[in-house]
Amino acid sequence: MTDGGFAVRLEGVTKRFGKHTAVGGLDLEVPRGVIYGLLGPNGSGKTTTIRMIMGILHPDEGRVRLFGADADDVRRTKVGYLPEERGVYKKMKCLDLVLFLGEIRGVPRAEGRRRGMAWLERLGLGDWADKKVEDLSKGMQQKVQFIGTVIHEPELLILDEPFSGLDPINQDVLEEIVLDFHAKGTTILFSTHLMDQAERLCQRVCLISKAKKVLDADLKELKAAERRGLVAVEFDGPDRWLQGPEVRSVEKVNGATHLLLHDGADHQAILRRGVDAGANIYRFDLVEPRLHEIFVRHAGDGATGDAGTPTGVPGTIGGGR
Amino acid sequence: MMANVWAVIRREYLQRVRSKWFIFSTIGAPLLLAGAMILPTYFTSKGQEADRTIAVVDSTGVLADNLLPRLEEAGFTAHTVPWTPDVSAELTQQALDGEDLGGFVLLNAETLRSGHAALYVKSSPGLTRRLALKSAVAQSALEAQLTAMNVDVGALLKGGDLDVQLLTAEGGGFENPRFLTAYMGSILLYMVILIYSVAVMRATLEEKTSRIVEIVISSMKPWHLMLGKILGVGAVGLTQMAVWFLSGAIMMLVGLPAMLAARPEMGTMDQFQEFLPGLGLLGLFISFFVFGYFMFSGLYAAVGAMCNSDEEAQQAQFPVMLFIIIPFIFVMPIIQSPTSSMAVGLSLVPLFSPILMFARAAAGAAPAWQVGLSFVLMALAVVAVAWVAGRIYKVGILMAGKRPTLPELWRWVREA
Repeated sequence: MTDGGFAVRLEGVTKRFGKHTAVGGLDLEVPRGVIYGLLGPNGSGKTTTIRMIMGILHPDEGRVRLFGADADDVRRTKVGYLPEERGVYKKMKCLDLVLFLGEIRGVPRAEGRRRGMAWLERLGLGDWADKKVEDLSKGMQQKVQFIGTVIHEPELLILDEPFSGLDPINQDVLEEIVLDFHAKGTTILFSTHLMDQAERLCQRVCLISKAKKVLDADLKELKAAERRGLVAVEFDGPDRWLQGPEVRSVEKVNGATHLLLHDGADHQAILRRGVDAGANIYRFDLVEPRLHEIFVRHAGDGATGDAGTPTGVPGTIGGGR
Repeated sequence: MMANVWAVIRREYLQRVRSKWFIFSTIGAPLLLAGAMILPTYFTSKGQEADRTIAVVDSTGVLADNLLPRLEEAGFTAHTVPWTPDVSAELTQQALDGEDLGGFVLLNAETLRSGHAALYVKSSPGLTRRLALKSAVAQSALEAQLTAMNVDVGALLKGGDLDVQLLTAEGGGFENPRFLTAYMGSILLYMVILIYSVAVMRATLEEKTSRIVEIVISSMKPWHLMLGKILGVGAVGLTQMAVWFLSGAIMMLVGLPAMLAARPEMGTMDQFQEFLPGLGLLGLFISFFVFGYFMFSGLYAAVGAMCNSDEEAQQAQFPVMLFIIIPFIFVMPIIQSPTSSMAVGLSLVPLFSPILMFARAAAGAAPAWQVGLSFVLMALAVVAVAWVAGRIYKVGILMAGKRPTLPELWRWVREA
């Protein structure tokens, strides 16, 4: 694909803060029209990457291209950006804030007013248009900010942890909106540590850990390829046979035991060991792994967060859940 | 990209002009002041005219002639009534029965000796009026006694007269009212420049800490944001001053004469006229504000951009604040000898000019070429500040973490 076929293209992008490398030599390609998930534990470099795409930080090395052009030239009108740390002008009225955010991206005020009202109505904030932002709840403020993100009808939406801080109902509302934009052909790049959301929404995922890309693939293909890596077992009797050189971790999931295997491990060997140990095995199932498990496999010990959960998963995704 | 700058100016301006604080300080303050001037007038004119009409009964025969004009001056309507043994009873009756007499004052030999007199009134006069009456009586008594000795009591009682001639190289001196105008004017300039520059710093800091700056900066150049912010806040300052000056002018031209008509004891129009600044001085004030504001708001924007909290900004603004405090310390000595070489030198330093050159110009002691030169120098300083502050702003506004040290700041300026 040519450069222009990608909404976002990072080429060998590196960012250092003092001696700490936040992002190291990252190549990233987001095809037009996809929903792209940027996954990784906290501190892995997701936000730094997004900030470089948005021109808030400048890469020490490498370059950022948007729609085949220099990022600085197209960013203003083509990109909508929702930062991780939400910020609003608290003293402004909701509609005024939305108008202002549209105005600085080239939306005339009359047009901004029309679109802004439509969005406020859609998100149930129609009656709040003339209220000050500070009078709204946190969740409502977040919605207003989201409207400000999309008011100029961008071709590329970049959302940094868009679901954090939203209640389940509003998470669904946002998911629906994201899918709507996708249906209209908008490219969506979002970062998250919520694997369920990513699994439901993304067509492509990129996994970053310790400033490096560890995985970048189509989600469907990825799952098919990883199918051999996870075994669900149900059995009675002794359980010591579950431990072995093939097994990376053991986790109880809904009454079943999930064995996460090392790459290229022979699952037959485990089954044989179980039979030899005299266990009554009534389910031994190679399952499609959840993104969560793929993530843990690849982020591995690099994933920060609360390592050593009771079920013995070596690393879970740390985060503000 | 001017559309962006315009959007920022518009937002900043409307947001501030609509705030309660602005409406109060801009419209409320002059209203309060006007109210304080006009309300008493209103009440007095509504109050019974008759209360200010008093009869003067002079048993000495030498006091009334002196007293009557003084009473008129103090806002009373007075007439004499010849002394008779029954005059008190008659006047009491007249005052209580009719509507046209508020009371009467009795003057006798004792009044002539010690200034002691007796006032009979239906309603007690206010403190200023009572004082005015008392001193009018005392002065009349004094005058009556001294006139016989060929003393110009009137001139003496007015507090004498002093011709002041300043011994300066350029020969010209300046008299009292200008001194006051220069001093008050430079204090006011100091305040407005500081208030609005600090407002720019706070706005910058707020945008930075609330993180909205990330969204704004991804849509426009930092320099445009800073420019829009400074112009927007500055326009608010000019609006406020315009309202103040306008309402001040209305008060002086309409309110003051009305007030003096109602309360003549407060002075004459001529006395006030001496202190009123002219149009030229107002123009100078606005010009110095604009240039001073551009210099300091740029510096304050840079301070706001490099800090992460109000506390940090409080400390970091100190070096900038020095450039406002130092001239402020020198205002007094410089107004006292406005043509000394120290005065000329300091007032030409661009960051000092708004306060010091204004003070000298207002005192009438700065030649036009010096004032002109100070504006040229300030214009150059504005460019320099914009260059340095713009670079610090650009880096600082997106920088989290600790406040930069001076060497780091210098690197920002070089590398930005």
